[in-house]
Amino acid sequence: MTQSFDLSTRTEAPLRADEVTALRGFLDYQRDTFRWKCSGLSQPQLARRHPPSTMTLGGMMKHLALNEVGWFGRTLAGADYPEPFGAVDWDGDPDWEWRTGAQDDPEELRTLYDDCVRRADAAIDAALARGGLEAESVETSSQDGTFSLRWILLHMIEEYARHNGQADLIRESVDGATGE
Amino acid sequence: MSDPAEDTRVDPPLHADEATMLRSFLDYHRDTLRRKCAGLTQEQLAQQLPPSDMSLGGLMKHLALVESQWFDQYLRDLPLAAPFDTADWGAHPDWEFESARDDRPDQLRALFDEAVRRSDAATDDALAAGGLDHESARLSPRTGQTFTLRWILVHMVEEYSRHNGHADLIRQSVDGQTGE
Repeated sequence: MTQSFDLSTRTEAPLRADEVTALRGFLDYQRDTFRWKCSGLSQPQLARRHPPSTMTLGGMMKHLALNEVGWFGRTLAGADYPEPFGAVDWDGDPDWEWRTGAQDDPEELRTLYDDCVRRADAAIDAALARGGLEAESVETSSQDGTFSLRWILLHMIEEYARHNGQADLIRESVDGATGE
Repeated sequence: MSDPAEDTRVDPPLHADEATMLRSFLDYHRDTLRRKCAGLTQEQLAQQLPPSDMSLGGLMKHLALVESQWFDQYLRDLPLAAPFDTADWGAHPDWEFESARDDRPDQLRALFDEAVRRSDAATDDALAAGGLDHESARLSPRTGQTFTLRWILVHMVEEYSRHNGHADLIRQSVDGQTGE
């Protein structure tokens, strides 16, 4: 069973704040919303699909963990993927995280997710200290050069919110639970 | 008439000032919703993916309402735009979702486009008046504080992204179309 999540502890983005505080507040809100959507579920529930989509909540948790260390670790900071992502044959198995996330132990999945969020936050701290929101990524886009930290933070907010919308419908189909 | 399958969305720039970046991400998600709803009949726009009772037409009308709530009501203390100003919200709290099934696709799209135009004009005025720290005319009922324009714009990006996540699964169930 995944860990429970007390919704009253969800981070709220402050209504009046500077840009960095606002963006990080919104990102933390989306991360907590995702933890809540995946909370209190068994391994078979995390592997359930809502056809015709093939997504699962377990796969999504591992996908978002990968996104955290992909964007903030690899792209922004130039760091190698931590395990288990570093040893994956991505060319041979491009949806590895979705496939295996549906089979993993729920508590281990959440631990992996929380660890990737911690690594991401440390990479954000370092980039802010280096260049603020204009800090440029170490890795580049194939066509358009570097990414700014501002772009990466906003992209992660939209990435999470989009997946949380999908998670809303999947979770409702699993056990009827709904809510923003 | 333009091909509804053609992707005319503009990717947000990788490096830009805060206001340009926020408005680019918001426009990207407004266009994503247009795309998720494009090329469908009135019946398809009313189709649901149980157990959720949302529909694509309902989402389009809901987001037209949300545009007016934030950029007319909160930001400028104006009444809601028509037809939302005369709806009986007490008797029908989900009026925009329920009534959308009686709207033709071109009516829904025109309502949505008009809402976006009003919001963009309000955003221009607020930016000219006070930049992203410009404060809303109405207070948050939860905290009693004003909202900054910054908060409203980031919130709209997450609001659209979340609903586009719903739209992803609903559209796939209507005709199989998927894609970011």
